[in-house]
Amino acid sequence: MNPFLNSLRQAAIDWRLVMMGAVLAAIALVFNVLSDGLFLSPENLYNIAQQTAVVGIVATVVVLIIVARHIDLSVGSVMGFVGVLIATLMYTAGWHWVPASLAGLAVAIGVSLYQGALTARLGVPSFVVTLGGLMSFRGAAFLVADGKTQPVNDAFFQRLGGGYDGAIGVGPSWWLAAVIVLALVALTWARRRARASYGVPNNPLWLDALIVLVPVAIVLGFVAAMNAYQVPSKDAPQGIPIPVLIWGVVAVVLSFIVRRTRFGRYVFAMGGNPEAAALVGIPVRKVTLMLFALLGVLITIAAIVSIARLNAGTNSLGTSMELFVIAAAVIGGTALAGGSGSILGSVLGALIMQSIDSGMLLLDVSIGVRYVIIGQVLIVAVVFDVIYRRLTGDAA
Amino acid sequence: MSTVASTTPALVEMRQIGKAFGGVQAVDDVSINLYPGEVVALLGHNGAGKSTLMKMLAGAYPIDSGEVLINGEKAHIRTPVDAQRCGIESIYQTLALADNLDAVANLFLGRELLTRWNTLDDHRMDADARKVFHRLNKNFQNVRTPVRRLSGGQRQVVAISRAIYFNARILIMDEPTAALGPEETAMVGNLVRQLKAEGVGIFLITHDMPDVFGLSDRLAVMKNGKLVGAYRTADVTEDEVLGMIIAGKQPEGKTQTHSL
Repeated sequence: MNPFLNSLRQAAIDWRLVMMGAVLAAIALVFNVLSDGLFLSPENLYNIAQQTAVVGIVATVVVLIIVARHIDLSVGSVMGFVGVLIATLMYTAGWHWVPASLAGLAVAIGVSLYQGALTARLGVPSFVVTLGGLMSFRGAAFLVADGKTQPVNDAFFQRLGGGYDGAIGVGPSWWLAAVIVLALVALTWARRRARASYGVPNNPLWLDALIVLVPVAIVLGFVAAMNAYQVPSKDAPQGIPIPVLIWGVVAVVLSFIVRRTRFGRYVFAMGGNPEAAALVGIPVRKVTLMLFALLGVLITIAAIVSIARLNAGTNSLGTSMELFVIAAAVIGGTALAGGSGSILGSVLGALIMQSIDSGMLLLDVSIGVRYVIIGQVLIVAVVFDVIYRRLTGDAA
Repeated sequence: MSTVASTTPALVEMRQIGKAFGGVQAVDDVSINLYPGEVVALLGHNGAGKSTLMKMLAGAYPIDSGEVLINGEKAHIRTPVDAQRCGIESIYQTLALADNLDAVANLFLGRELLTRWNTLDDHRMDADARKVFHRLNKNFQNVRTPVRRLSGGQRQVVAISRAIYFNARILIMDEPTAALGPEETAMVGNLVRQLKAEGVGIFLITHDMPDVFGLSDRLAVMKNGKLVGAYRTADVTEDEVLGMIIAGKQPEGKTQTHSL
């Protein structure tokens, strides 16, 4: 066989992710043409990135929940509950945002562990447990402040949600880009050396260079776009919005957990074959509980970003977010049957969904039509998934 | 040989083991033992209780009653991890593989090698796994594809490699050749002989008479959760074995044995 194609085949490249990236690029180009260049303007890209962050943060961990053959329908309600709680503690009780957020974190972990324990210890299907949670915690979100909107006034806290002062500025953005680029190169270099020292075959150098170059180009392009956007009333461009930064950190940390820790591997093993996982001695219940605790942490982060962005906690915060989160995970290639999915996929899935929504908004498509189309996009993604698995010989 | 066996304690001694699922007595007062370097074939119909008995030894099911002695000492086996600590490895009929993970990850599943930062040491696992796989099958290259895409023989290699890599002293094989072609069956047979020579004790659950007479030193037959009898393989004929499996009838004039 052609050595070029051969090394491409043997390299552990996730072609599904590559395809999704291509789909996202195609969507962006089509909307850009249709909107006369508005779609790819720095302002629109800035808004899309910022708007996707909350759904994206929760989607990263929901991928793992689905991989482990569970589901969580209550993420939107729990986020609303925790968000209102944090806002109430700050506004009505007068707490500083740090203890208020920590209290929210404790409550979110408690809620997640409660639902997780019902699933892991008693074997109640997580669908049922979290369906109950979807209703209960929406009610709890109302009860916290008796349905009253709780304004968030702390200037620093507001920046966490993005908005007017919610970006890190041009200089720090470039510095961050440089650090990421160096880290990517260093990691690849270290991996090549480690593989060589263990006698494990490496990809050819040109291929590894290409694998590094693509994300490097994306990072630099993204930072350039963010640094090109200037709010008209300000005297300097924005740079990377803080919510996107948080989302990025979350995605990197979760990817690390998936690839480099036992916990991540066990989540996938449990999703692939729960009986086998138990037979080889994986502590299935403990891992499930840890997974739900992790969900609680990320729901809190999303809640903080969300109320900071709205400058208020309302009892309707996060309503029907669970649908977008699950859709992002599924569009990103997570199989509802469990056992397969990726964090980066959920990032792309969330971006694809938000891009289509924003693109249609730019084109003045009515909300009804937008919902119809986004729903069908989800179905297209699943149909693609089914066909892809059939072609590559992976049973679903 | 019998003098050696009478002075050294059994590698495994299961005494009066019982297990009920709801109202069904799956294993009823079964005593069985295993010596180093010995292959004991465990026979019986589907549902006779042999797999349940072995799953208790492997820690997959908790034991209701009775006790297990390893090298003459009482062992408390409640989880698969307990069993692994006692040197017990199992090759299940279903192979217990996570289909979505690759061969390396499956070999180390539950017992991953870690770096000093407690992260997965993928390179070391990769290198070690390749050595074990190579020992079992010289042509096994695609160790980084999900095991669902591997052939039946390759999947069996992955399951067996767990026992080899973690130095099993006691090996439970549940119908290891049921899904294999002739070449792979021969590989399993050779492996059994090799491990036996190294002093590993093997419980072999099987329906295959050539395996029983070709590989085992002793055989034990179960029916309806009870032990029908345990005999030296050389002492009994195939017809007598079938009589025990089907009718639960002990062969006349043959002495049972619980040692080599």
